[in-house]
Amino acid sequence: MSAHDKAIVIPCSGIGKVFGSVGREATYIVVDELRPGTAETLCLSLLVMGDQETVERLRGVPCIAADGCPKACAQKNIELAGGMSAASLRVVDTYKAHRELKPEGVTVLDESGRKLARFLSQEIASAVDRVVAGR
Amino acid sequence: MPDIPRKKVGIVSCSGEEIPEGTISRIATRLVLEKLRPEDTVTICLPLFLAGGQEERAFARSYPTIAVDGCPKLCAKHGTERHSGQVTDVIVVSELLNGQEIKPGWRRSLDGQGMRLAEQVAEAIAGRVDSILKATHKEVEPDLIPVTIQDKAPLSRPAQEQTCACTAQGLPVMRIDVGGVSVGLAGLTAILEQAYALGKKPDQVTKTQLLETVKVYNYIPAGTEAEYAEALLREYAALCRRKER
Repeated sequence: MSAHDKAIVIPCSGIGKVFGSVGREATYIVVDELRPGTAETLCLSLLVMGDQETVERLRGVPCIAADGCPKACAQKNIELAGGMSAASLRVVDTYKAHRELKPEGVTVLDESGRKLARFLSQEIASAVDRVVAGR
Repeated sequence: MPDIPRKKVGIVSCSGEEIPEGTISRIATRLVLEKLRPEDTVTICLPLFLAGGQEERAFARSYPTIAVDGCPKLCAKHGTERHSGQVTDVIVVSELLNGQEIKPGWRRSLDGQGMRLAEQVAEAIAGRVDSILKATHKEVEPDLIPVTIQDKAPLSRPAQEQTCACTAQGLPVMRIDVGGVSVGLAGLTAILEQAYALGKKPDQVTKTQLLETVKVYNYIPAGTEAEYAEALLREYAALCRRKER
């Protein structure tokens, strides 16, 4: 894979389950704090709607999906929009490595949820580094 | 006595990860589902219309649906109508809160001021839910077959998950032939069974009652009611014959 200026991190919209909120929070940590120069996000809904401007924005830019459930909405919608899928991360995999955390609160994440999001954000940031470096 | 779940209104929020109005949309939707109208509402993740299967795509045909959009691009409305069915109502947060300060930092999380705006949007959504349920009830009451209504979803699940259609399951769908096209109708098996349990004859009166009852749980396109009514009566007559063998 060749090097890139940036990567787009797309969380699932996950409104029904806490893992959706964890994926979204992890994405914000990456784009706001960990990799603000090289990672950005976009509204997944725009892909669902088939917004042409957004589809153009994906063109040639590696995308990283952060999915909250096995339905893998973010990953599938990136593929359906013709985006370059560079990495696919699942909240459940991070959770399996940190079973001591029991996240709750879909509307507002609790402390466990925010901790889990921190762990996931590290994995997303590593993925951003890899795809931006072309590895 | 056959049971079908209580009639609910679907709420589909835009995901809106890029803008604070998107976060207000999602949180307002959750407030309605969890606090304001937990027994009357259900939601689904908008991207599931593409990533999921037929059951997810039937959402807006199974429930009268309100789209809650953060911005004038109306992703929730257009995405739902493109992949599932017509929405019954739309709330656009940027229009509803026009003139009020929206802070960029709310994209990630709402402070007290942002939460108050989300509550304001949630109240607006709840009002629309009430209007839809009231109108639906009023429209069909005279001809409704009195199907027993459950207060809970068929499977016992934690309250938090009952509001998510991708896990709580929609109504059971029965497929029938309508004008040469195979159509799935939510709750039809229970409705037909209930009509038979009430001793209804397969006649013109029952035909109207079947149609009106089916309309409570399904979207019937304008101009097709006569075809649907004939198909329902045909299915009901077939059920009566099977029962009486």
